[in-house]
Amino acid sequence: MPDPSHAFIDSLVADLEPVAPLTRSGGLTGAFVAALAAVGVAAFGIGLRPDILAGKLDPVFLLSSGLFLLLACAATFAVVQMSRPRVGNHQTGWLWAAAMAALLPAAGLLTWLAARLGGGHAAVDLAGWKCLVMGITLGLGVGAILSVLLRCGAPTSPERAGLLTGIAAGSAGIFAFSLHCPHNDIVHIGLWHASAVVVSAVAGRWIIPALVRW
Amino acid sequence: MIADDATLARLMAMAQTGDREAYATLLECCQRWLRRYYTRRIGPCQLDDLVQDTLLSLHRKRASYDPARPFLPWLAAIARYRWVDHLRKVYRADETELDDSFAAQSDEPGISARISLERLFTHLPVAQVAAIEMVKIEGRSVSEAAQATGQSESLIKVNIHRGLKRLAALIEKD
Repeated sequence: MPDPSHAFIDSLVADLEPVAPLTRSGGLTGAFVAALAAVGVAAFGIGLRPDILAGKLDPVFLLSSGLFLLLACAATFAVVQMSRPRVGNHQTGWLWAAAMAALLPAAGLLTWLAARLGGGHAAVDLAGWKCLVMGITLGLGVGAILSVLLRCGAPTSPERAGLLTGIAAGSAGIFAFSLHCPHNDIVHIGLWHASAVVVSAVAGRWIIPALVRW
Repeated sequence: MIADDATLARLMAMAQTGDREAYATLLECCQRWLRRYYTRRIGPCQLDDLVQDTLLSLHRKRASYDPARPFLPWLAAIARYRWVDHLRKVYRADETELDDSFAAQSDEPGISARISLERLFTHLPVAQVAAIEMVKIEGRSVSEAAQATGQSESLIKVNIHRGLKRLAALIEKD
C-alpha cells in the first residue's frame, strides 16, 4: 500500500510551477510607483498649491506633509516585510512614525480647544471633507498594490497587515492631496487630513484580511 | 538526518525555478523537520494532519520565500501560523502521549531555540500556557483543566481565548 504522506508530497511536486520570489525591492518599487502616480494626479490633474508654485513654502505644510510621507514610507516598508514572513521579523518602525503623525490631530484638537476656551473664533472647516475623500481616493493605488502583495505573500497577521496597508494608503493619498490643498490651518490638517489615514486604516483592517488566502 | 539551513535554502531556491527533483527532496526534509518541530505541541493523532496542512501552505506560499534569507525562520513562521490556527479549532485528542522536545533533538540548537514553539509560550502568562496545553494540546476537557489548575471553568476559557490571541500576534517573534 502506498504511503499517504509520499502520495501527498508527490501531488505537491506534480503541481509545482516556477514562481517569482517576492522581494523587498519589488514590493517597495510597486508602492513607490503607485504613490508617484497619486502625486502626479494631484500635481498635474488637480493642481499644485499656490505657495508651491510661488516657491514660498509654509512650515506647517512642510511639517504635516512630511509626517504623512514618513508614515506612508514606514507603513509600506512594514507591509512589504510582513508579506514575507520569518521568525525574528520585528516591525516597530511604523509605530514611531504613527506616534509622530498623531501629533497633528493632537495639536489640532488642542488648538481648537484653546481657541474655544479663550472665547476666540473656533469654527471647524466643514468643507474639509473633500480633503478626506480625495486623500482616501488618491491612496487607493498604493492600497491596491500592497493588497496584491499580501495576497501573493504570507502575512501571519492578516489583520495587522490590513491595518498597516490602510495606514500606508491613507497617508500616501493625503500626502499627495496636501500638495493641492491650500490650507495651513493645523485644525483643518489635524481633523480632515488625519481622518483620511484613520478611515483608510479602519477600511484596510476590515477588508484586506478577507482578501488574504492561506 | 535533517538537512541544514543552507541546503534547504538552496533546494527552495531551485524549487522556485521549477526544479521538481529539488522540490521533492525539500518537501521530504521539511516533512521530517515539521514532525519534530510539532512534537509535544500537538496531540500525536493530529500531527500528520498538521504537517500536511503546513506543507500545503509552504507549497501555496512558496513565492513568499526570499532566497537571500535563511530558510528555517521562514518555514517556522508558516509552521507557527498553522499551529496557532490548528489550536483555535476545537478538538479533543484521544492520545496524549508526548515525546521529547524539538529543541533537544535538533541539529542546529541555536536556530531551533529561537524559532521553537516553546519559545512562543515564554511570552504568555503561566495560567494561559497551562490552559492551552491541557485543553488544546493534551485534549482534556475544560472541567478537567479547571480541576487540575484550580482555575474556574470560565477562567480556563478566557485564558485559552486570550492566550491564542496573544500567540497569533507573536508568530514572528523570536
